[in-house]
Amino acid sequence: MLSHQSQLICHECDALLRMPAVRPGQKVLCPRCGAALYKCRRDPVNRGLALSLTALILYVPANFMPIMTLDMLGLQNADTLYKGTMQLYQQGYWWMALLVFICSMLAPLLEFILISGICLLVKWQRYNEWLVAMLKIQGHINRWGMLEVFMLGILVAYIKMLDMGDIQLGIGLLCFTGMLLATTLNAVLFDTHAIWEQVGQARERHRIRAL
Amino acid sequence: MPSGNKWGRPVNAIVSARSKNLVLCSDCHLVVSVAAVAPDQPHYCPRCGSRLYARRPNSITRTWALVVTAWICMLPANLYPVMTVIYLGEGEPDTIISGVVKLTQEGMIPIAILVFVASIVVPMLKLIGLMFLLLMVQRRWQLNKRQCTVLYRVIEVIGAWSMLDLFMISILVTLVDLGAVATIEAGTGATAFATVVVLTMFAAMSFDPRLIWDLQEHNDD
Repeated sequence: MLSHQSQLICHECDALLRMPAVRPGQKVLCPRCGAALYKCRRDPVNRGLALSLTALILYVPANFMPIMTLDMLGLQNADTLYKGTMQLYQQGYWWMALLVFICSMLAPLLEFILISGICLLVKWQRYNEWLVAMLKIQGHINRWGMLEVFMLGILVAYIKMLDMGDIQLGIGLLCFTGMLLATTLNAVLFDTHAIWEQVGQARERHRIRAL
Repeated sequence: MPSGNKWGRPVNAIVSARSKNLVLCSDCHLVVSVAAVAPDQPHYCPRCGSRLYARRPNSITRTWALVVTAWICMLPANLYPVMTVIYLGEGEPDTIISGVVKLTQEGMIPIAILVFVASIVVPMLKLIGLMFLLLMVQRRWQLNKRQCTVLYRVIEVIGAWSMLDLFMISILVTLVDLGAVATIEAGTGATAFATVVVLTMFAAMSFDPRLIWDLQEHNDD
């Protein structure tokens, strides 16, 4: 049995549960510990593809256009996400630079690419090893993307710098906000349970054909 | 302990999957029966091929090791400066705490609270919370298991927010790079703090909340 299972296990308390009938838009919670077990979403593939492509398009300006510009005694300097990582690296803090790079640039980018790839493969009905590998990696890296924390970091830095000089918000911030919005919506709307289910069904069909 | 739920089934009647020889695949959420496989043989998920574990391996030992290391790194993170603001050639290094104090003196109370919570309260609470859960599992304390699971969930979710200070430093260092007028430089403390954040995140990932619920089963026997 690789799909349509009648049982469900809670990943947080190991409770063995019967799979309830779920309508789109509903969420299954563990009755014992309250963990969210399963989200049933309308059309996760098309929405996931649309949102992750939007985020991918916004990714380039969000990372390389100025987030904000500081003007002080006639001197100007702009901040971008990419420059933030490079500056730390040049000052010799490679470990910090690496962490900031992973959490604000690499993990989000990988996640957008992986979700787009997953959605495309499902749309084309290619339930192959690539899809399985991409689903697995996506499940592991999504906790390392921290765009929402970075947004708060921008806010704190902005307020801190307000009385030091003249600060202008840049086009990069706008793109970053759009990218953050798309990521957050994806976190709510995208769920891999249904896709794993389809992978299981495809494997079963394959097995029956092979017999 | 709540005695029922909205389906009317008593919560106490719920059995663990392990007692029925069933294992959940951590990657693809498939329910796999491992009854036919010898207990000392590794199991693999038939759908996605991942190695199956009833519980995360060596969860308690690993979590303890990471928690202790994180506590050790807490010292340099808080004692060494994280950032130096040099304005017109002058400036002194700031640690996390002196930065918060400076913000309060400048009247930016909400930002001071935000930074204080994200860089001091959150990592401390995470480590204390994990130690509490570890002790609870090891010493078999009889506590409300649902609340302990909620505690674990909170620890897992708030972890990322400690990165706030690091992101802020990376932005400030880039933004204030005006040569002789003003520059901001990162400090050694920031490296240690980055290590603390990573260690606490790995510690939260290696703890298995199902161990909390295993205590119940041992008591029922």
